[in-house]
Amino acid sequence: MPSLSFRALSKQFGSTTVLHPTTLAVTAGEFLTLLGPSGSGKTTLLSLAAGHLAPTSGRILIGTRDVTELPPRLRNIGMVFQDYALFPHLSVFENVAYGLRARHCRRADIARRVRAVLATVQLEGYDQRAIPQLSGGQRQRVALARALVIEPDVLLLDEPLGALDRQLRRQVQLEIRRLHRKFGHTTVFVTHDQEEALVLSDRIAIMRAGQIEQIGTAESLYEGPINTFVAGFLGDSNLIEGTVRAVAQDGAELAVPGLDAPLRGIAGPGVIIGEHAALLVRPEHVRLDEALAPGLPATVEEVVYLGDVAAIKSRLSSGGEIWCRRPARLGRPLLERVAIGWAAGDGRILALPPHTKGTSP
Amino acid sequence: MHRGSRALLHGVVSLVLAFLVLPTLVVLPASLNHASFIQIPPSALSARWYREFFADPEWLASLGSSLRVAVLATSLSLVLGTSAALGLERLHGAWRAVLSGLFLAPLVVPAIVLAVALYYVARPLGLAGTTVGLALGHTLMCLPYVVVNVGVSLQALDPSLQRAAGGLGAGPWRVFRTVTLPSIAPGLAGGAVFAAITSFDELIVSIFLAGVRTQTLPVKLWETIRVEFTPVVAVAASVVVVISLLGFLSLRLGSRRTSSALTEPHAVT
Repeated sequence: MPSLSFRALSKQFGSTTVLHPTTLAVTAGEFLTLLGPSGSGKTTLLSLAAGHLAPTSGRILIGTRDVTELPPRLRNIGMVFQDYALFPHLSVFENVAYGLRARHCRRADIARRVRAVLATVQLEGYDQRAIPQLSGGQRQRVALARALVIEPDVLLLDEPLGALDRQLRRQVQLEIRRLHRKFGHTTVFVTHDQEEALVLSDRIAIMRAGQIEQIGTAESLYEGPINTFVAGFLGDSNLIEGTVRAVAQDGAELAVPGLDAPLRGIAGPGVIIGEHAALLVRPEHVRLDEALAPGLPATVEEVVYLGDVAAIKSRLSSGGEIWCRRPARLGRPLLERVAIGWAAGDGRILALPPHTKGTSP
Repeated sequence: MHRGSRALLHGVVSLVLAFLVLPTLVVLPASLNHASFIQIPPSALSARWYREFFADPEWLASLGSSLRVAVLATSLSLVLGTSAALGLERLHGAWRAVLSGLFLAPLVVPAIVLAVALYYVARPLGLAGTTVGLALGHTLMCLPYVVVNVGVSLQALDPSLQRAAGGLGAGPWRVFRTVTLPSIAPGLAGGAVFAAITSFDELIVSIFLAGVRTQTLPVKLWETIRVEFTPVVAVAASVVVVISLLGFLSLRLGSRRTSSALTEPHAVT
């Protein structure tokens, strides 16, 4: 299974840059997710890989093969589209066989391979069904089968779960994971859904404003986000904004208007004295104590019961709100007045992402 | 709605329909009259004038000429119009507006202007009075219907289908044949029927371009009715009406079949 590399790949439409020069290597057999809001450039990157767009500069390599100038049909890429793009006038069998017929495979081979791949996506016996008769989940699997049967070097998935309801989405996520484990295709998956990214990916690239903000395993992104954008996009987060007062080797201090004492936390990259920054603390790390305990004084405003956990919203004296998630069986806090605290290692002072620096969101 | 106003509505609609349809349908009973002059309602029914029509080599020749020209013009305008629609689909901005305006111009330019212009072009080229010349002239008139019908189908076609086909290894011709063409088939059928009917009852351009040997049915009708008022004229008119109706009916039935086979793509006719 070859790797997929982008070398200083960029795309401009007129004077608008939709993808800044991006270098990225998807290693052989890796499942990489491009995660970001709409307009972040994730779909552009995928379209460039597929050959639906021509880059303004840079190269695309599959293994050692430079495919930058190749039309899509010669790239040997399997793609699953957001709306599946199944051929409505062809049967399930003919949809899946399409790529094999285009490659002039022998008829007996086509029949054998189509049957085999339909079996792997659990659609045996559906060969002669018409596409409009299929449910969303079944269409999804036909689209996967059609992409897999050509034995592609690279598999591209463009928000393939977007049209499915929540329950089905879970199911298809696990299906995609199983197929990836089975075939080990080098895969690029585009989504704006962090849960999908967490379930499926070996690595996640978080994109914003036409570039990759940070790339790494789900764990490294969750535990060590480089700025408030990454922190906010992966997982729930409390962000308390303020001005950096001091930066030392192991930590920084943040002055927050309305709070008496500065907040301390591990310093992320690019945290500079005098600049705006924010303290990140994940809701599951927030502790609620009785009012007299050491910590930030706060008032409980809302308790949301979520079954396994309860989410509790409190308001700090600075006016900012802070969420705490804790096991639901601990019940509601007894008093409205509480003290908010967290372990020293759980607070992280992060720079704001480049363009929003100095402006409060 | 009140009963009274509903009855009024039905009455008005019936009157409008009658106004639209009756003058055309009047030729059918007139063609079945036994008398030697046109008379409505017919005094006695008879197929006498039909026998006369189908025994007359001149009328038959003109019917044959009309059919030949219609088939040629339809085929030609299907190929050219589909190509034009495919090209227009890929254009954007001013070019698209200008070119699609140009392709639709024959709908707007008065037929008589077109006829005179075509006559001046066709004569020095030796095309006046020939089947090919007539077919070319008709193609011009038919082209807009194909461009519009196929264009609407193309707009309903999901562009990711063509991308998917290309990504699976199909070359441009294979993509067109296996994905684009089946998806725009309803538009092609619609364009073909409109083109065929347009050519089949075209009169003005035909008067200018038809020769003695290539006289089409409407031209023959026109020339006959100027000199004599025979019921054969009603028969000829009925033939034109019936053939046109058959065209529309085939389109209706065809589109119902395709739309039940393909519930998903929005078949437009």
